[in-house]
Amino acid sequence: MEQLISIIGAQAFTMIAGLIGVIAFVVVNALALTWAERKVAGHMQRRIGPKEVGPYGLIQPIADAIKLLGKEILTPGAVDKPLYVIAPILIFVPVLVSFIVIPFDARLVVSDIGVGILVILAFSSLTVLSILLAGWGSNNKYALMGAVRSIAQNIAYEIPLLLALLPVIMIAGSFSLTAIVEAQKGLWFVVYQPVAFIIYFIAAVAETNRTPFDLPEAESELVAGYHTEYSGMRFALFFLAEYTNMFIVSAIAVTFFLGGYQGPILPGVVWFLLKAYLVVFVIMWLKWTYPRVRFDQLLNISWKVLIPLAFINLLITGGILKL
Amino acid sequence: MVERIKTGLSEILRAAPVAEADYTAKGYHLFAEVAASDLQGVARFFDAQGFYLAMIACVDYKEYLELVYIFANHAELCKVKIALKVDPAKPVAPTLSQIFDCACWYEREIREFYGVLFEGHPNLTYLFLHEGIDHYPLRKAQVPVSAADKRAMAALPVADGEDSFSINLGPQHPSTHGVLRVVLKMDGEYIEDAQPVLGYLHRMHEKMAENRGYVQFYANTGRMDYLGAMAFNLGYVTAVERLCGIAVPERANLIRVICTELNRLQSHLMWLGAYLADLGALTPFLYVFDDREQIHDILEPVTGSRLTYAYFRFGGLYNDVDDQFAAKTRAFVSRLRSRFAMYEKLVTGNVIFLNRTRGIGVITKERARKVGVSGPVLRAAGIPMDLRKMEPCAAYGAASFAVPVGTRGDVLDSYVVRVKEMENALKIIEQALAAMGEGPVMAEKVPKKLKPPKGDIYHCVETPRGELGVYIVSDETDTPYRMKWRVPSFSNLMIFPELAKGCLLADAVAILGSLDLVIPEIDR
Amino acid sequence: MTLSPSAFITAAWSLLAGLGVTLKAMFSPVVTSQYPRELLTIAPRFRGHTKLLADKDNPAKNACTACQICVKACPSSSIVKVDGEKREGEKRKTGTSYILDFTTCSQCGVCVEVCPFDALDFSADFNPAGFKREDFHYDLVKEFDKRIAS
Repeated sequence: MEQLISIIGAQAFTMIAGLIGVIAFVVVNALALTWAERKVAGHMQRRIGPKEVGPYGLIQPIADAIKLLGKEILTPGAVDKPLYVIAPILIFVPVLVSFIVIPFDARLVVSDIGVGILVILAFSSLTVLSILLAGWGSNNKYALMGAVRSIAQNIAYEIPLLLALLPVIMIAGSFSLTAIVEAQKGLWFVVYQPVAFIIYFIAAVAETNRTPFDLPEAESELVAGYHTEYSGMRFALFFLAEYTNMFIVSAIAVTFFLGGYQGPILPGVVWFLLKAYLVVFVIMWLKWTYPRVRFDQLLNISWKVLIPLAFINLLITGGILKL
Repeated sequence: MVERIKTGLSEILRAAPVAEADYTAKGYHLFAEVAASDLQGVARFFDAQGFYLAMIACVDYKEYLELVYIFANHAELCKVKIALKVDPAKPVAPTLSQIFDCACWYEREIREFYGVLFEGHPNLTYLFLHEGIDHYPLRKAQVPVSAADKRAMAALPVADGEDSFSINLGPQHPSTHGVLRVVLKMDGEYIEDAQPVLGYLHRMHEKMAENRGYVQFYANTGRMDYLGAMAFNLGYVTAVERLCGIAVPERANLIRVICTELNRLQSHLMWLGAYLADLGALTPFLYVFDDREQIHDILEPVTGSRLTYAYFRFGGLYNDVDDQFAAKTRAFVSRLRSRFAMYEKLVTGNVIFLNRTRGIGVITKERARKVGVSGPVLRAAGIPMDLRKMEPCAAYGAASFAVPVGTRGDVLDSYVVRVKEMENALKIIEQALAAMGEGPVMAEKVPKKLKPPKGDIYHCVETPRGELGVYIVSDETDTPYRMKWRVPSFSNLMIFPELAKGCLLADAVAILGSLDLVIPEIDR
Repeated sequence: MTLSPSAFITAAWSLLAGLGVTLKAMFSPVVTSQYPRELLTIAPRFRGHTKLLADKDNPAKNACTACQICVKACPSSSIVKVDGEKREGEKRKTGTSYILDFTTCSQCGVCVEVCPFDALDFSADFNPAGFKREDFHYDLVKEFDKRIAS
């Protein structure tokens, strides 16, 4: 082992080990979340949810994964093949990159770069690109409409998302996620910045295309939106990305507003995951409670409410910090 | 009112007499036979008087085809039958589609089933059928469809604009609840034109009725509207009873009311869940199923079935209710009352729901009348018309309840009206339970083989979706000579294209859902 | 879209109220029954496919007399063939085969009601399954004999 480290260098070793760890975590996390979603949905609807495969249906996601892997990879005849094939793969790049900078614990971070949050935000814009490719490449009107909706939505909500994070960055005085967590030793930033937290949370739900903002895949309008034509493993990749994105936005919420890995008694990573999954639960809870907003309302909420509110909040924060 | 219409009508039809009909036996007050040249004038007269066109039926009397127009009024009970004789060799009639919008689809239906050509009709194409049908199905003699007729009817005008594209909403789409297909012409997310395409579930119940006995048709009624099977059953049974003059025991009538109202609750609950699912909220769907299940648990032991009950018989009921029926129904009534608060919190108050439904799909009173919509959709438009009040059958005459009406006519109003109707249904059930005494549930001496006297009847009842009209022509044999079903969803769907125009796709889905369509009922 | 503070508070409150409903439901007991592990009791009047009943005087014999009334009454011609034979010392025929094509039957119950000998009733068989059409061509006499034998 030490030999190996000396050959490739310590930094490269952590990167590779981290990547392997991240991929493993992404898969396990997505499987766990699909199970959790079905259980949450089930109990909120006064039913049980998965229960037959394994205790409490815990093996169910693995059975589903095997089923999806075993399916024939279908390519509909009319699709634009290169785009159609590349879209589900591309959607995974931002997902993996984001994990590299998230601090699970004080020292459990693959690469603590100084501009961590910028990396995440920059790469998360790529998600839109792959959704567009999927919608356009599918050569299906429903898929295209889903893709168009997705772009408008993501552009509209990236702005309040960023504006809500800025006050925290200003208070902490750093772009580094670890530094931001360390700055919350005393009080969590959610106490200083409740408005920013709410704006961030709404924007994050919209960014991940979850109800009440799930317009790109609104099943009662667009059948399945941008992934209408996908099946088997390609569909599974979209699915996996959706759940992983849900975890990432929750992880950022925890890092920025809820004190990250800090907490008494238990080790930091446990606290971090606990808080992150709690936020994930709230996102699921919203999905199983609310109807979907309409497209123009969705954009109105962002442009007319969230963005002005975020700006005001930013100005006030800046003013107070200056004093 | 009947007198006024009679004098008014007599003035227009100088030559033809306007006869008064026995309303109890026939279901209409006035009857007049008009010449083709007078028909449009008569229709204009009814339009000016604020009447709506309930339905158009065609009957093949072999020597001639008779077109039957039933006009009725929302405010007062006054029904008029106008008949027009058409030459079967060369069937041509004037169209009413410019005067009453709902005539458009009825005329298309008659065109493909009987071959009657309506002059001046803007779009006389196939509605249910297709080019593969070689004979006019409802003609008594075998009349082939000529190649020219096929070509004329098949011409579906599809025009793609330069900046628009067309998209198929259905027949397999999550929000069309069955196999309805709507061809949408879209400009981005906005709808320029919506054209429903019917017939995917067409089973020709009307033809089936012509070759089986009255008793044998019981089972068909529930198959038309699977959610309002009880109300359809009631409509059919009471129509035939009225035709034959069969009196039904009091207890049977009360049980009919209770069961029909339970069925109405079941249907409205199902609508509520499905509608919220259309809007993207999936959880209420499961909650209403929890409540619906309680209704099934009451009705299943009584009728033996959970969906297609076929419980009512000519003269009474298939079976008396069991001993637990009353207690279980009372328990259910109080249970559902307590659940309304939960629905209120989850749905009615929800700001997203309100913003999705308020102000879209607005139906004015005038448009509602012209298109002939009925049921909750009509009441949401502000017209307080309920056939349970207007023409009470079974024991509805004794029920006291206020008819809810909407103020704006939008989709939210139709939601509010339906919720209030559920509360009303609970009230009616309680009243009927209180009035229910011991007694027989079957009339004595109902012949095994019914042979109703010669004549016709237009009988209508209020189903969960609106006015169900049954038009039966009897020729004194044991099978109906002609049975026409005027189904509520058919007329309600007719208003969809104009509501959808200019809407967002999401709104169109919300509007379509608010009409509470049951596709097998439309297609029959 | 109104943005007055009171409207905003009502809106926010309505959203929280909705969350309250679903959270409460989450911790309420489930209402579903776990078919096939749990079976609900089948209502006595449940309309499955028809079955033959026993003769009142002789419980080992079916009550069908092959009178063909049900065959004529069936709206869908689902009762394909009913045969009977007259046995020694009996006044009426006894059914020897009663073929019901369940694929076209709509369980309307006309046959049960018209039968003058009360020989027919609904069974509680709610989950018939098969691989081909012929699996649903039931011979009710054979079924009756099997039921009596067991």
